Amino acid sequence: MNRRHFLRFSAVAATSLYASQGFVTQPKDDQTVSEVAFAEKKPLITYSNRPPLLETPIEYFDRAVTPNELFFVRWHMPIIPTVKWIDGFHLSVQGEVENSLFLSMKNLKNDFTPVEITAVVQCGGNSRSAFHPTPVGIQWGNGAMGCAKFKGVRLKEILEKAKLTDNAKWLLFGGGDKPVKADIPDFQRELSIHELRDDIIVAYEQNGEDIPFLNGYPLRLIIPGYFADSWVKQLDSITVTKEYTPSFFMDVAYRMPKNGCRCEEPQKKVKESEPLSWMEVKSVIAKPKNHAKYKAGSNIQIKGVAFDGGSGIAKVEISLDGGASWKETNLGKELGKYAFRVFTYNLKPLNKGKLTIMARATNNKGQTQPFAHEIGWNHGGYAYNGIDTIELEIV
Amino acid sequence: MKKFFLVFALLGTLQAKTYTKDVVMPNMSFSIPVDKNIIVMQRNCQWCHSYGYIINMGKQNEAFWRHIVHKMRDTFKAPISEQDEKIVLEYLMKYFGKQD
Repeated sequence: MNRRHFLRFSAVAATSLYASQGFVTQPKDDQTVSEVAFAEKKPLITYSNRPPLLETPIEYFDRAVTPNELFFVRWHMPIIPTVKWIDGFHLSVQGEVENSLFLSMKNLKNDFTPVEITAVVQCGGNSRSAFHPTPVGIQWGNGAMGCAKFKGVRLKEILEKAKLTDNAKWLLFGGGDKPVKADIPDFQRELSIHELRDDIIVAYEQNGEDIPFLNGYPLRLIIPGYFADSWVKQLDSITVTKEYTPSFFMDVAYRMPKNGCRCEEPQKKVKESEPLSWMEVKSVIAKPKNHAKYKAGSNIQIKGVAFDGGSGIAKVEISLDGGASWKETNLGKELGKYAFRVFTYNLKPLNKGKLTIMARATNNKGQTQPFAHEIGWNHGGYAYNGIDTIELEIV
Repeated sequence: MKKFFLVFALLGTLQAKTYTKDVVMPNMSFSIPVDKNIIVMQRNCQWCHSYGYIINMGKQNEAFWRHIVHKMRDTFKAPISEQDEKIVLEYLMKYFGKQD
């Protein structure tokens, strides 16, 4: 067998091997921005208008706070009320509570202590296009995420006012978006009361403005450190229960394999799974753009953001030799443990040819990003956090 | 009569303050190839989502599309009849299919 035959044979073998096992690469980054802009948004990468699915182009992750007009959008249900009459909007708190509450926006703004937190919200399926074979779900690149300063009231304070009974064990959160028929599973999320913490808030502002309509106006549940599937938009009900309420979006969707590698084979779904919750350490390169051309000797600044589930970013490193050696980047100001942290690295490549650049973040727990190929496949294509890699052409 | 107008004007300003967001969704559509079976796609898929959901999946094999069609029917209650299931699959394989 000569070398060429061997290579071809390996490629075929690899393909069939991958087909049975699943493999992970870099997510796609060649999407185009739509010509159409949605309400309160600049034109974004648009996968659907009903329900609206908008992705933030990668170059906007060169800053710690994502502007509202560039913030990604993901809804599950086709009917999204526009909540024009804000005085008629209420958040209800019912079930295992001594005082049922029916809170208007004025109540929330006047009768509770306002708090602010800057946090990353990332879709569980962000970067899903990295997984092969294709998991069912939107084939996002890296842009189904954003970081904003949210203002609102502590969920704990609301629940203290409602006074949980001794039976209170679960919190069911419902939003305004609805399916077209009553027998279609509605989007709702559930938290155990053991998951309650001080930094979970019910927000009415995003980056100093009303929350944009497409991001959940007028109220959104903010769970810093958790993936976005639990950040219920247009939040209008909190039901406190003794027993867990089964639902499609908790029990079937948004679940990760519960095993050491959090991975499974495409044909053999792991039986034991758990809901997506905490985000793992991740970083993306915003600039320069993948496949950009530069003249040898020009000054190039690599810029991007890093984040994790709330321990904070310790360092971001760059490799120019395929991961053999790593150099630390400069980190921008920390806006909070849950926020994007900007990293920059300057270089001046002198040699012509392809230049591969990798970025790898490490959090304050010492956890670091794996290479994409080290990540195990999962059937939902969730939680990708591979080392981001771009290739420049130096001419 | 003057008073009457004044009341209306006042009501008008009050309304303007309470109705805070006037959101209009853009007029856009995601189109998929039109052939004799497009009507089957229309009557089964568009209740809940645009064709953008199909386009976004890219080319996929028959097992993938069958899985999706069943999920849409069984979980998301798309009214796909047995006859339509065959046509939908045939359509998806024709324009969004791949062999493997």
